[in-house]
Amino acid sequence: MIQLFHIYKAYPGDPPALSDINLSIDKGEFVFLTGPSGAGKSTLLKLLFLAERPTRGQILIGGRNIARLRDSGIPFLRRNIGVVFQDFKLLPRRTVADNVAFTLDVLGVPRSESRERVMKMLKRVGLEHKADVLPPRLSGGEQQRVVIARALVNDPAILLADEPTGNLDPALTLEIMDLLCDVNVRGTTVVVATHDQSLLERYAKRTIRLERGTIVSDEDGIQAARRVASAG
Amino acid sequence: MSATAKAAYFWRSAVLGLRHSPFVHSVAVSTLAIALFTAGLARGAMRMLDGLKDTLGGEVEVTIYLDDSVTPERGRALASALAERTGGEATWVSPDEALTRLSRELGDLADTVAELPENPLPASVELRVPPPLRSPEKLAALAREARAQEGVTAVDYGEAAVERLSAISRALQVGGGIAFLVIVIATVIITSATLQLAIYARREEIEIQKLVGATDRFVKAPFLIEGLLQGLLGGAVAVIALWAFSRWAGPRVDELFAFLVGPGRSWTLVDGRALVEVMAVGAALGLCGSFVAVGRFLKV
Repeated sequence: MIQLFHIYKAYPGDPPALSDINLSIDKGEFVFLTGPSGAGKSTLLKLLFLAERPTRGQILIGGRNIARLRDSGIPFLRRNIGVVFQDFKLLPRRTVADNVAFTLDVLGVPRSESRERVMKMLKRVGLEHKADVLPPRLSGGEQQRVVIARALVNDPAILLADEPTGNLDPALTLEIMDLLCDVNVRGTTVVVATHDQSLLERYAKRTIRLERGTIVSDEDGIQAARRVASAG
Repeated sequence: MSATAKAAYFWRSAVLGLRHSPFVHSVAVSTLAIALFTAGLARGAMRMLDGLKDTLGGEVEVTIYLDDSVTPERGRALASALAERTGGEATWVSPDEALTRLSRELGDLADTVAELPENPLPASVELRVPPPLRSPEKLAALAREARAQEGVTAVDYGEAAVERLSAISRALQVGGGIAFLVIVIATVIITSATLQLAIYARREEIEIQKLVGATDRFVKAPFLIEGLLQGLLGGAVAVIALWAFSRWAGPRVDELFAFLVGPGRSWTLVDGRALVEVMAVGAALGLCGSFVAVGRFLKV
């Protein structure tokens, strides 16, 4: 599903953000990207939805080299990738339903069909009763669930989440992580960047560890959970 | 994936944009309205002066003086030939009739004419020039043509008056054109500046749109519609203001020019055509402003 070959990313005047990254993520996999701040987790995610382009190397998504994709092709790639951020990126003056419908508006889905799909998605994330509420009136966990609903309403093949629980307390963190696992169980490939080691132990998923822009380990879920447990 | 649904979204988004920043947009609409009102007023004034020129131009007459050797029959034939050629009204005036007119016009001094030993006035053909031939160039050509006729001694068509009226009309057209250009540039700049603010205010929305797969055209379309709506709103306000001004000033203008064109003639600044023109120009200006703003500030 996702393959990276010898990926480099450098910004002028700074040490390389990513160096010689090679990895492969299968369809339907759940992968944690972990490492300290500045390790390159967010940069790697940005390359996957082409918010940034690699300095060198190839990125294949569904067999297609997106590193060479023209700018005009980026929107069509992104329609197949849901993205979740730590800071939510919700529109405060639009209702929860309108925020989720935003993805469908871009695709030109008629309003009546859109409403139906939005309500179904809100039900899946447990927020159908908050459809007409404005985001600032929701808790952090609820806001993140709206973001996940917006990212998934179009049934993308891949969901990328950059520190999705970074702003949440432990209870809400588990709520969101359970939701992401549920999304993965339904067939979506999920890549979560996090520096929260407790999540690696608790959820025992494949974990790719980055340090200073390079992959230092790529462990399966059990190995990662054991390592975190023994370190803790 | 319905184009109708996308179009509906663009309009909904544009209207929301107007509603979310009422102050900024009202500045743009007011500027457009003032510019269009001024342009409409200038256009109305130009049309009014053109009408005045036509009315005064109705007096434009070419007088063709004939040699004494030209018989009345030949003079009348020349008159009907000129009338047929130009589509105007031509009459042969005998020397006696010319003298009678002169006496009438001199009033108290008519006696001096009676004391003349002989009638010094020549026979002539008077041609009332139809509107299509009232330009200085066409009148000069007509005079040249008449002068070439046998038995014609001189031709007079009030060159100075015609040229002055045409010069005024030309000056109005050039001045109006320059003023209109200045208005166009100013309004495009102001409209694009307000849309720049709108784009800035909605940068988060644009970022999210891009994130969920919106194309550049999809992001830009609502802003273009916003500009169009600003233009139409500005046009509508200008039309209402022009109509109100026309109702207030119309009777006063009629009164002012009654001595020139006679009573019963009325001027209007806003007719159906003016309404369509003002709305169309407003829409075009709004759209131009939004094109500039989107092109310069919306780097998507």
